Amino acid sequence: MKNWILFLITAVVVFLLAMLAYSIMDRKNEAKYAYQPKVEIGNIEPRDSIWGLNYPRQYQSYMKTKDTSFHSMYNTSGHVAVLEEDPELVILWAGYAFSKEYNQPKGHAHAVEDIRQILRTGGPMEPGEGPMPSTCWTCKSPDVPRLMKEIGVTEFYSKKWSDLGAEVINPIGCADCHNPETMNLTITRPALVEAFEAMGKDINAASHQQMRSLVCAQCHVEYYFDKNAPDKKGAQYLTFPWKDGMDVESVESYYDKLDFADWVHPISKTRMLKAQHPDYELFSLGVHAKRGVSCADCHMPYKTEGGQKFTDHHIGSPLSNVENSCFVCHREKKEDLITDVYDRQRTIKKGSQKLMQLIAKAHIEAGKAWELGATEEQMAPIQEGIRHAQWRWDYAVASHGAAFHAPLPTSSIVTSGTSIIEESRLQLARLLADLGHNKPVEMPDFNDTEALQAYIGMDMEKERADKAQFLEEVVPKWLEEGKKREAGYSIEMISNE
Amino acid sequence: MGFWQTTKRTLFRWKLIPPHRWRRPAIVLVAAIVGLGIYVLKLSNAASYLSDDPQACVNCHLMTPQYITWTHSSHREVAHCNDCHVPHDNVFNKYFFKAKDGLYHASIFTLRKEPEVIRALAPSQAVIQSNCIRCHQDQVTDARMTATIANHQEMRTDRTCWECHRDVPHGKIKSLSSVGYQIEPIKEYAPKDLEVIPAWLKSSMQKQNNQHESND
Repeated sequence: MKNWILFLITAVVVFLLAMLAYSIMDRKNEAKYAYQPKVEIGNIEPRDSIWGLNYPRQYQSYMKTKDTSFHSMYNTSGHVAVLEEDPELVILWAGYAFSKEYNQPKGHAHAVEDIRQILRTGGPMEPGEGPMPSTCWTCKSPDVPRLMKEIGVTEFYSKKWSDLGAEVINPIGCADCHNPETMNLTITRPALVEAFEAMGKDINAASHQQMRSLVCAQCHVEYYFDKNAPDKKGAQYLTFPWKDGMDVESVESYYDKLDFADWVHPISKTRMLKAQHPDYELFSLGVHAKRGVSCADCHMPYKTEGGQKFTDHHIGSPLSNVENSCFVCHREKKEDLITDVYDRQRTIKKGSQKLMQLIAKAHIEAGKAWELGATEEQMAPIQEGIRHAQWRWDYAVASHGAAFHAPLPTSSIVTSGTSIIEESRLQLARLLADLGHNKPVEMPDFNDTEALQAYIGMDMEKERADKAQFLEEVVPKWLEEGKKREAGYSIEMISNE
Repeated sequence: MGFWQTTKRTLFRWKLIPPHRWRRPAIVLVAAIVGLGIYVLKLSNAASYLSDDPQACVNCHLMTPQYITWTHSSHREVAHCNDCHVPHDNVFNKYFFKAKDGLYHASIFTLRKEPEVIRALAPSQAVIQSNCIRCHQDQVTDARMTATIANHQEMRTDRTCWECHRDVPHGKIKSLSSVGYQIEPIKEYAPKDLEVIPAWLKSSMQKQNNQHESND
């Protein structure tokens, strides 16, 4: 009897153990469906709306970058024409597409639509036409890494802007910064990786906090199109000039050594440089970078919705969200914090405005000197001054956040630019006097954008008409073709909860 | 050999060896227990519970809200689950408490008796509080006052920290339904070979470099 009882007890134990094993399997299976994404996100999925199925909060906050209603004192998110605000810019950028149209920054969601609409890209009616290379698409869309993977990096840089209009239709989005499998931050733009290599750094060694800035540094940096890269014939290869350092002087000497020029100024005949938003470089010099703050800390602070904490992807001015961005570290009155920002911006803008006016005058005075028969030898040192001064001015203002990100370095850049241009104007005044013109040079009306554009010989009527025709006839075709391509993509659903 | 002899003797003395007629079924059953036991250990990933890896705590999806809220908190960088939730006065106490808590969790989970909102029980609360103090001693007490005021230490440490710091680190709301989709591993637990450059870009750059070298 005792043995039977023992036998039964043991059998029950085995039975219970089997039940436990089954229960564990059961709960494990449950985990496959609880907290799981809805769709399998493919290799490089350019459509944000597909990612949005898995990450609705991140996606929906990102879509708010369409909103242009917030206005800060400088660089609003609305549509503001900068050439109307500062007509002198037309003279500074004469002979370069920026003198056609230049607007204040908007949100990421507008990237593709805005590059089509801006006069700078012209009105190419056929693929292969137009003023701009395909490289201009590089920072506009997650279709870019997709294309680079499909056709190759160098090939991507070797076309015309108009060749890829149907291929690039999604504005900057998820796939630009995220690895679809792990959601980890990732670098999808070769230029940044190559720039790190050129500096002798390994980008894979970056910490998570550094990555929260480096994904922004894929685009928010100074760059140039290298037309003479070895083994890359015919490509306008996107390159960051960081080999000798990221600061304004190092980059200036880098370009000087290469004898690189973005364009030649038609009035002063100077070989000019165009600085493009060195946001990461200047931010790195500021106190926030020194304290280990990343771009995402202020521009993408945490947010809580329905009891869930997530990173707010509504990227824009932290001033629209002071409570979540600044308050984390600075427990001051909101008004005081905003005033602190505006004070820095106002002070630096005062200096950079003045510098801009001086450079505009210098160009016209140099033009006068050429007119009166100055020699190239006489003009060379003056031209170098104009080149360096405008480079520094541009470097300081094109980095939109610089006046706040790094007020000290930025104001020192403006000051150095001012002293350089004043020296050049002094030389110009002497040269003009030698040439028999010992009085102020006559200036055009610096308050009228249209008049200045006519002054430098641009046919704005034609530019606008071409653009209108392009927007009406070509862009819809691009969109149709792009949509047709995307309709062919398959979507793998994981669960249909 | 001597060990085996003594063991056998003990088993017989306490009548733990079944009589001849019963030996076969007994052996089969005991082997089934051993086999199933090993299988359950493997299935439940039991070895992982000996480690300090937070991934072990999310072997059950029940802990996902706690895990996610922690990965979105500043404590992520400095403290793992065990840093706060098990005692650290000595190693025996640590594993005793861990086993006790773990078996309780496992039983409730197996019986499907888990509440919608998980709350720490009294013993657990005491452990958490002592761990807050363990790291933040210098923030809550003042060495100079400890020397001069009799009950300074008690005064400063007897209230639970979360009376005020209600959001640390899991946030105020952490029910099972307060979590969205979760497939965001954090860097620490990403695969070792994870690189920030996607594979396609790496291979294309490799190709370019090779080209470059062959042309030099």
